[in-house]
Amino acid sequence: MEAIKSAELIKVYQSKEPVEALKGVSLSIDKGELFTLLGPNGAGKTTFLRIISTQLSPTKGEAYVFGHDVMREAGEVRKHIAVVPQDVQTYNNFTPWEYCYYFSLLRGMSKRRVEEQAEKALKAVELWDMRKRTCATLSGGEKKRAVIASALASDADVLMLDEPTSGLDVVARRKVWMVLRELVEQGKTILLTTHIMEEAEMLSDRLAIVNKGKVIAEGTLKDVKSLTKEKFRVVVEGNSKNKLLQNNGRVVKFGDKQIIYLKDEDEAIELVKTALKKGLKAETAPITLEDVFVKLVGGEEA
Amino acid sequence: MNLKPVKDTLIIAALKSIPDFKRQPLMLIMIGLISSIPLFFLLVFGGNIGYGLVGAMVSTIGFIGIVAAIQDVTWDRYVKIREMIVAMPVSPISYAIGVALAPLLVSAPSLVFFMAIALWLGVLPISSIGWLLASLLLCWAALSGIGFIISTYLQKASVYTLNSMSNILGLGLIFMPPVYYPEEMLGGFSWIAMIFPTSNAAGLIRAYSGGLQLPLEMVLIRWLILAAVTMVSIIVVARKARWREA
Repeated sequence: MEAIKSAELIKVYQSKEPVEALKGVSLSIDKGELFTLLGPNGAGKTTFLRIISTQLSPTKGEAYVFGHDVMREAGEVRKHIAVVPQDVQTYNNFTPWEYCYYFSLLRGMSKRRVEEQAEKALKAVELWDMRKRTCATLSGGEKKRAVIASALASDADVLMLDEPTSGLDVVARRKVWMVLRELVEQGKTILLTTHIMEEAEMLSDRLAIVNKGKVIAEGTLKDVKSLTKEKFRVVVEGNSKNKLLQNNGRVVKFGDKQIIYLKDEDEAIELVKTALKKGLKAETAPITLEDVFVKLVGGEEA
Repeated sequence: MNLKPVKDTLIIAALKSIPDFKRQPLMLIMIGLISSIPLFFLLVFGGNIGYGLVGAMVSTIGFIGIVAAIQDVTWDRYVKIREMIVAMPVSPISYAIGVALAPLLVSAPSLVFFMAIALWLGVLPISSIGWLLASLLLCWAALSGIGFIISTYLQKASVYTLNSMSNILGLGLIFMPPVYYPEEMLGGFSWIAMIFPTSNAAGLIRAYSGGLQLPLEMVLIRWLILAAVTMVSIIVVARKARWREA
C-alpha cells in the first residue's frame, strides 16, 4: 500500500527571478518503509517534504498521503502525519515532556493517552530521565531528540523528518537512527531528508537522489549503486604523482591521498598490491553511496 | 457539537503562556511595571491617578497583545512550533486566537492588580466592571488583529525589523493617543482618541466610570468604531493570511 505518492510535482518560488525548486518529481513510498531523499543543499528536498506535509502549495502536480490529496484533503492528511522541520531550535522554556504533551493534546488524544504516548516517546529517545529539565539545559543532541520525541508521541502513521540529525554528534545521531529503525519495525512510514550519506546508507529501505529539483536516481541502495559502472574504490596514500596508478581508472585527489575508482575487483586488488610494493599505503572496498552520489550529481571530474 | 477547535485554542494559549509563567515568573511583574511607569510620574509630578490607572489597564493588555502577535512570526523562525502545528489537525483560527489569548493570560494578573487598586480608590465603580472588560476585550482583539496584519504583510522582514516595529507600534499606540492623559488635552483634535483602539477603549472605560462626560450617541459611536476596527483588522488578516504557504 502506498503511504505517499507524488505525480509530476512542480514548485516555482515566485520572486524577481523565479526559482524552480521542483521540476516534476514523481515518487511512491510504501507503507512501513523508510524512504530517504538525498541531495545537496538546495536540491528541493525540503520543498518536496513541505508540500507532502501540507505546509506548502505546489505550483503544479499532485501528491497524496494514504490516498488523500494534500491540497484538497489537507485535514485528512494532517491526521496521518507528524513533521520535524529543518533547523528546528527548541524553545528554551519548554521541557521535553511539554513538547510531547502539548503537541499530542493538539492531535485530539485523551489526557491519559497523551501521557502514555509522551512517556513511550521520551523513553524511546532516552530523554525520560530529563523530561522535566528545560531545553535550555539540554545538549544539542538532546534538544533535537526532544523535538523528535514530540513527533513520535503523536503516534502518526507517517513521520516526515527534515534533516533530523544535522548538527548532532555521531553518538547522538546513532541513537536517533536506532529509534527511527525501531519505528519502521513497528509499521510506521518515514520520509527522511538528509545530506549525510552514511545516514541514507544505514537507514533507508529505498532512497531517491534529488538534484536541482529532479529525481536523478531512485531505488534500493543496491539499485542506486548499480547506476555507475565503477564498483570498487582504492584509496592510496603517498606519492600522488605516480603515473602508474593514475592510468587504472578515474582518480580523485585530496592532497597526498587519492581515490581510484575501478569496475573490477581483481583490478582493484592488483592495484593495491602495486601500490604496496611502491611503499604506499593502499586499501580497497566496494564503492560507497557517497561515491555514487558525487558521480551522479556531477561534483567531480576525473 | 465539535469542541476540538475550542480545545485547540486553549491548548495553544496554554502552550504559549504556561511554560513562560512557570520559568519566568518575573515577567509578570515586568508587564505590570512597564504599564506602571506613567503612574509613577503622575504620582510624583501630580496628575489624575484615575486616568493613569485606566491607562495602565489598557496598556497592560494592549502593548503585550500587539507585540505577541508580531513576535509570534519572529519567534517561529527559530522554534518552528507554528510550522509543526500547520501539519497537525488544527485550524488556523484556533491557532491565531490561541496566540492572541496567551498574552491575555500572561497580562491577567497585572490587569487584576490595577483593577483592584482602581476599585479600592473608587476610580472604578463596581457597576462599570462589565463595560470595562468588554472594552478591554475589544481593544485586545483589535490590537491583536493589527499585530497579525503587520506580521502577515511583513513576513519577509528581518527579525530585528519586526521586533523593533512591534515595540514602536505597541509603545506608540499606548503613549501617543490619550490613554494615560485626558483626551480634552488634544483640544480640537480630541476626535483622534476615537480612531485608536487603545484611546477609544480608555475613553469608554472613563465614560462608564464617570471620568469622562459623553452623550449616549457618542458612547455608541465609540463602541461601533472599536468594533469596526476589530472587524476590519480580522477581515484583512483573514484575506491575506495563508496557513499553508503559497
